[in-house]
Formats: sequence, structure tokens, C-alpha cells
Amino acid sequence: MKFILLDRIVSIEPPTRIVASKSLSLAEEYLADHFPTFPVMPGVLMLEAMVQASAWLVRATQDFSRSMVVLEEAKNVNYKSFVSPGRSLKVTCEAIRIEDDSSEFKTVGRSPEGDEIVKARLKLRHYNLADRNPLLADTDERLVEDLKRKFDLLGGPSALKMAAALTNTI
Amino acid sequence: MAMAREEVYQKVKDVLVDALGVDDDEISEEATLTGDLGAESIDFLDIVFRLEKTFSIKIPRGELFPESLVSNPEYVEGGRLTPKGLDTLKKAMPHADFTKFEKDPDVNQMSNLFTVKTIVNYLSTKMAA
Amino acid sequence: MRWIWIDKFTDFQSGVRATAIKNVTLAEEHLHDHFPAYPVMPASLIVEGMAQTAGILVGEARGFEEKVILAKVKQARFRREVRPGDQLQYDAEIENVTPEAAMTTGRVSVNGEPLAEIDIVFSHIDNNMSGLVFPEENFVFTEDFKSLLMNYNVSTSAAGTTS
Repeated sequence: MKFILLDRIVSIEPPTRIVASKSLSLAEEYLADHFPTFPVMPGVLMLEAMVQASAWLVRATQDFSRSMVVLEEAKNVNYKSFVSPGRSLKVTCEAIRIEDDSSEFKTVGRSPEGDEIVKARLKLRHYNLADRNPLLADTDERLVEDLKRKFDLLGGPSALKMAAALTNTI
Repeated sequence: MAMAREEVYQKVKDVLVDALGVDDDEISEEATLTGDLGAESIDFLDIVFRLEKTFSIKIPRGELFPESLVSNPEYVEGGRLTPKGLDTLKKAMPHADFTKFEKDPDVNQMSNLFTVKTIVNYLSTKMAA
Repeated sequence: MRWIWIDKFTDFQSGVRATAIKNVTLAEEHLHDHFPAYPVMPASLIVEGMAQTAGILVGEARGFEEKVILAKVKQARFRREVRPGDQLQYDAEIENVTPEAAMTTGRVSVNGEPLAEIDIVFSHIDNNMSGLVFPEENFVFTEDFKSLLMNYNVSTSAAGTTS
């Protein structure tokens, strides 16, 4: 399984908000275990989708200046319903704050009809490996290269352009 | 164990901040748990456990947040509580304020009875006993 | 990718607490995406490891009668990154159990050092989610999970330890 829990960035407005979606398919092998006869998206993968979406907003806002953007704390992660194969989860992350080293988000995952499926408050931390070990500066570069490729796969750059165009027309 | 109402209110606020992830200044005595503070059914359980721990008391199931009235056909008709249903609910929740609800006892509005004040009233009574 | 995020129980006190361990290895596919140049164990999968340790603890306490599923993560806080070759240890304790739900607290350590605190609320869905229909059989506790417990019981009786 590829550990990308998003399929598309729907819209992105640095530093405020990002909306992204994840489509669930029975082709995803772990569903055979979760659960047999009742395949549904594991709650922690919904959490991962929300973390990944928030992380993209941080990276776009900070221009990929930090290679590592990871979850520091998740609070009040409430699961209200399920996502089944053939369905999708639309994740909206509102930034409460994005600072150099850390950020906080209010995130919600909804069904295509707009029903709340999951919500969470997230705190992320951001850094470069070279901060702790200068020898890892190369690794930071390779991480960022790969992240930019993934951002491209998700339609990030065009979503950014759209947001810029909208701000310019206002 | 006497505790001033203000102190009870503060502690209840702290519990709700932790359980619901809301900010302290979003909470007022009149705030409804589901409507204003976004509580869901799983949160109610969390709230009861935390209150038990904070106040060192036992809260029997259904005493703070009565649940099963709506399933009884004697108490509900056309989506509204019957006079008997309303009466039973009032007896089960002496800690709640019914002035608004009794004007139109719509079953879907029942959750508005669960305000922060309802919890504070319940605890003050419980601890004075 | 299998959906089992613990390897083995090292302690199990029915209805009270349990400890499970998990090895983090480059043989696991997801590490190669997270991240290609610098693999780290995703925090969300550490939450799942705790959910499985605590979930089996809760399920076993009620004879695996109910379908125990993740309803709320009260909080999960992570101190640092976990890397290939590390070993995670999950310590879960039951805080409260009712017919509708269960609450657990948990600590995670990595190579013996404190890593995270993860507190969870589980829902016993048959008794809870009105209007939703679930298959009869308990799909949550598969043979894989139950055999994790069986292997623990077998190894402790072989070693002559009692818990």
C-alpha cells in the first residue's frame, strides 16, 4: 500500500485553509482485515488524511522550507460514521496558527453529501533534519524533492494558482 | 463536602474544555452541549467519566443525561412529548430548566435541555447531599 | 499491507491492563513512502497500535461479545520520531467499561524511552449506533487478533508464569 491518504487537493489558500479528498477503493488491501465482511476506512487513516492535508498547507505556506512536518498532538478526534469502498472523504483543515516550528489546525472530514464523519484538533511540528545533524542536509533536500513531486501528483500547484487568481480578481 | 457554585462552574468548564476541545471563553452557563459546544453522544460518556473523577462522585447512568424516555410510546406523540412524557422528564431532570422547552416539547429539541447550567445544578445538588 | 499493528503481547491481565510490542522494520511498505529519504513510523499507525492493544484488552474483558470500535481519541501526544529497527511498547489500561463504551489510557515507549500518551474511547457499536445494520458475526476480533492472545497464553503457561 502507498502511504498517501489523499487523492486530490481541491483548494488551498495559504496560510488559512486547505480542502482535499480521499477516495476509498476495495483495491486497498488492508480493507480485507478492516473488517472482514464489513470493509471501512480505519479511523487512524482518516486521521492520517487530515494530518497529511494540514501538512501540505504548512509546506505551501512555508514554501517547503522544512522537510519534516509531522504530527505532534491529536486531540478530541471524534469518529461519527464510516467511509465505505466506493465512497470518499472530503477533508477541510482550517489553520488556527502556522508558526515557524509548529502549527495548529481544526480539521473536519465529511461525506460527499456534507455529513460530518470525523473531526480533530491537530498540532504539527516542523523542522529540518540538518537542525539536529548538519550531515543530514542532503537528506533534507531529497525529502523536499520527493514532497514537491507528491504535491504535484495531488494537483497542488494548480490549486495554488487558482487561489492566487481568485485573490487577484477581488 | 460543600463547594461554592462558582468553583463547581469553573471545574465543569475545565472538564468541557478537555472533553470537547472548545475554548474556555466559548462556555457560558446558558450554552447547550450539543448546539453551542458541538458535543456528540460519545462525548457525553467522556463528560460523565471526567465529572466523576473531578468531583469524586458516582453518577448513575441516566441520572445526569436521561436517555430512554423517547423510546416509550406513552411519552411521545407526533414528534412531541405528551403531558405525561413531559412530566416524567421533569421529574427525571430536576436540575434542568424547562421554561423554554415546555412551550413546544419537540423531541428533536430535547438536547437543548442539556446546558452547562444543567450540569452545574446537578453537581451542586449532588454534593450538598 | 496487513492491518495488524502489534506483534506480540508480553503482559495481559484480563480486565485490567495489557502490554504489547511492535517491531518497526523496513520490510514494511508504508515506511518507504513515509518518507522515501528518511523513513519514520507514522504517528497515526502508532495510534492504531494502541487502539489494537487496548481494543483487545477491552474485547477480551467482555468475552469478545461486542464489536469494539474506535470512537474517540481523547488525546495522542508524540515526543519524537520512530525509526526502522526501533521497538515500540504499548501499555494500555482500562479506565472504565459500560455496555455502550469503554475508556482506556495508554503509554507508548520506544526502546524503553517514553514516546507518547494515547487515551481512547471505544464504542460497542451494536449497543450504540441506532439505524445502522451490522453483520451478525463479530468482524472486529478476527482469528489473527485472537491468536495473538492465544500465543501469549501459551508462552506464559509454558514458562510457568502466572499473571
